[in-house]
Amino acid sequence: MSCYVGYWWGYILFEFRFFEIYRSSEYLYLILDGILISSGLTIASGFFGFIIAFFLAAMIYWKFSPLNFLAICWIDFIRNTPLIVQLFFVTFGLPLIFEYVWPFWAHALLALTINFTGYFGEILRSGYNSTPTNQLEAAYSLNLNKITIFRKIVLPHTLIKMFPSLSSQFIFIFLTTGIISEIGVNDLTHAGLYIDSRTFRTFEIFIILSMLYVTLSLLFKSSLEIIFNRTLKKRM
Amino acid sequence: MQDLLINIFDKPLGIILTQLILATRFTIYLSLIAFLGGGLVAVIITFLRIYPSKILNYISFCYTWLFQSLPLLMLLFIIGLGIPRFIGQDFDPWYAASISLIIFTSAYLSEVWRGAIMAIPSGQWEGGVALNLNFTQTLRFIIIPQVYKYSIAPTVSFLIQIIKGTSLAYIIGFQDLMLLGKRWANAPVIGSEPFIIFPIMAVLYFCLCYPLAIYAKYLEKKYIIEN
Repeated sequence: MSCYVGYWWGYILFEFRFFEIYRSSEYLYLILDGILISSGLTIASGFFGFIIAFFLAAMIYWKFSPLNFLAICWIDFIRNTPLIVQLFFVTFGLPLIFEYVWPFWAHALLALTINFTGYFGEILRSGYNSTPTNQLEAAYSLNLNKITIFRKIVLPHTLIKMFPSLSSQFIFIFLTTGIISEIGVNDLTHAGLYIDSRTFRTFEIFIILSMLYVTLSLLFKSSLEIIFNRTLKKRM
Repeated sequence: MQDLLINIFDKPLGIILTQLILATRFTIYLSLIAFLGGGLVAVIITFLRIYPSKILNYISFCYTWLFQSLPLLMLLFIIGLGIPRFIGQDFDPWYAASISLIIFTSAYLSEVWRGAIMAIPSGQWEGGVALNLNFTQTLRFIIIPQVYKYSIAPTVSFLIQIIKGTSLAYIIGFQDLMLLGKRWANAPVIGSEPFIIFPIMAVLYFCLCYPLAIYAKYLEKKYIIEN
């Protein structure tokens, strides 16, 4: 497939040559690998990030005295610095201080998890605080203890109310994960840059990558919606 | 400033700090360009989105949908690396970075502002019809004065996203805080190791973003109390 765009004074301005990309099966495998690694890393770090953020937000909610302040500082600091600076610090700074050697994907996983904890922590914190007060008063009058109140009343409210913002934040961070290619992880963007350096069809390969990213984010969005409908919607 | 910083810190760190602080101004310029340009485009897109015409609504919906689900990195690559191949000419990283950030900003801001307009009760629109105002007049005299208080806090907190987004522009060769910091971190100078440089950069970005975060929180509280 090749098509021309525009003639100007007899010159061909640009010729789209998408076949350069799927001519070699190596490139297709690279792209497939990239899709798997990108989405796998995002899902894994989102999962770990959610668990850590859950405890961070719980610390702030229960006013767990010194840790409470630290958790607020952590969340604010993560939310106000770019992911790429965190990624570079985790990849190039921390191994020099603590002297360990990890594969690249592990550094990327750690950095993405750190980033997820900040954003998810903020969302969960505001969710915990937005529990209706009359429900909490009813629970106090039934003499439920703190943990039962948290488990049976605060948590379901938070998850149902905050699921849309959690999922949109997840997708937003998925769209920024392309920068883990900067440290050498073989993700989708890295595949694109590799193919670009071999074929010099920059414009075509990045259009195809954008389409792949859009499709993947749509897939994530719809699957998260299905999970929401299956698990939490009947409790609304 | 350089002499002062060299006096306080030692030789390499003082020079590095001066250069990083001076490079921060390009980050600020790029964020301002993205915010102002993106705001202008977003005004047009929001207007088309609520204008009573099916086709214009659909076009602006497609614009916001497409550029919201497209990564900023891909926009930077297409505009910064792809367009020069497409037109067969060099393209200044300033233009490429500004254009892609403007597109990114406009898609998100128009969604924020549309949400704010949708939050206004429909009785206000009907009141405009009852007073025999046309669409633009209703928007100008009734809706926009009320939209302000719904939209100002999310807009300020989106500015943080823009400032963080400008850190990606170094990939296409835009000279800002990020590129200079990375160059220093790679330099074989004792005292410019990655675990010193990257925290300094994080603190600089934090100093840019955190006041905005506090301001957004203050605005949110203020308008919630007013309502």
